[in-house]
Amino acid sequence: MSELPRPVRRAMLLRSLAVQGSWNYQTLIGTGLAFVLAPALRHLYADDPARLRASVARHAELFNAHPYLAVLAAAALARLEADGVPPETVARFKNAIRGSLGSLGDRLVWLMWRPACALLMVALLLAGAGWWIAVLAFLVSYNALHLWMRAWGLRAGWRDGLLVARALREAPFERLGERAGDAGAVLAGFAAVLALGWGGERGWAYAAVGAAALVAGIALGPRIRWVAAVALTAILVAGVVLHNNP
Amino acid sequence: MIPDAPTLLLLGLLGGLLALDATSVGQFMLSRPLIAAGLAGMIAGNMEGGIVVGVLMEAIHLAVLPVGAARYPEAGPASVAAAGAFAGAPESSQVALLASVVFMLAWGWLGGRSVEWMRRLNARIAVPAEGPVDPATVEALHLRAIGVDFARGVAMTLAGLLVLGTLLETLGWIPFREQWTRPALALSAAAALASSLRLFGRRRLPLFAAGAAAGAVLLGLR
Repeated sequence: MSELPRPVRRAMLLRSLAVQGSWNYQTLIGTGLAFVLAPALRHLYADDPARLRASVARHAELFNAHPYLAVLAAAALARLEADGVPPETVARFKNAIRGSLGSLGDRLVWLMWRPACALLMVALLLAGAGWWIAVLAFLVSYNALHLWMRAWGLRAGWRDGLLVARALREAPFERLGERAGDAGAVLAGFAAVLALGWGGERGWAYAAVGAAALVAGIALGPRIRWVAAVALTAILVAGVVLHNNP
Repeated sequence: MIPDAPTLLLLGLLGGLLALDATSVGQFMLSRPLIAAGLAGMIAGNMEGGIVVGVLMEAIHLAVLPVGAARYPEAGPASVAAAGAFAGAPESSQVALLASVVFMLAWGWLGGRSVEWMRRLNARIAVPAEGPVDPATVEALHLRAIGVDFARGVAMTLAGLLVLGTLLETLGWIPFREQWTRPALALSAAAALASSLRLFGRRRLPLFAAGAAAGAVLLGLR
């Protein structure tokens, strides 16, 4: 099987950046997947408009994946189309991979890598680094993995086609997630204490309240967002109401 | 404070682009609160204010996971609106800072609801009809949906700037007990940063403690 021409691969890679552009509750990223695949399908079915239109319609149906791994699916699907695999097999393949492409990406990127990189940014800023340095550190570290995943996905998907699960097993996602989790935990403790310092208060009483805040944060987890919103709103209202009623 | 018209226009465009970055196009994470608020502060002429608003929101937004069809708040336009409106507040105004952070939380939630609305709309305007379809049709539908998202981001940002700007101008003359504000914000940010340990797993508590000890040493050296 010959390679897809470079302009086609480049177009698929660039389009994969917008794979979620038409996210909807009916086909999820189905339209987006067809959008990414369109350059390859145009190339493969250049002489057969009817097959091209039928193929685009099939790939615009329900599909979902982590956005950074969707290009892996698109490249594998392009390979199946190029190999003349029957549409029923292609549909079963799409159903089979969409769950793992979603959970793998969610676990590595959203749960581990992004929070760890964001904590690096916050920690650098609170430690006294300039905003530009902190932001640059975040963007470079975060997008190094992001862009690698897209480029790797395009190569591996086209190379392995139906056997793409092997590439997913061999990729270092699990190990990367573990290391990011370790770094993130250290950075979370570091940044949390520096944030307490930003409060401008000193003394044991404040330190005790700060320690209690850290324990509460760990205990509450993501629910801290709502607790913080209620507490800060109450303080805003109390600050106004109590100003003249000490 | 409500910025002047050219600044409003620039902030609206920034909000639209960052709304796209969050999901539709790129996902380079330029839409993170600290980056969005810093950029908005720079445009509005108070970068330091934008960074302070942004770092507080970044801490509180850390544990938000944009997984599949889950409901989650949208940070980009809310951060631009909050930092843009806060930019005109007096430097020492703690009430303006507190109000901006509270507003950003509420506006982020509203932004998340607007994303849900757009996704329902996309099911009508961005899904091709059954049967064979030309690739150009799919491309047009897809790009139209991206255009809707951009417009939504611009609208959320501009509306936020007007609402929070008006609120801050009103709060400017309301007496306020300032001394609680900064410690309260610091405690909230610290608790939110600590809450991110739950993402990495409680088994990493010793690593968290090591990081906290390093932070305490750095604070002691200052």
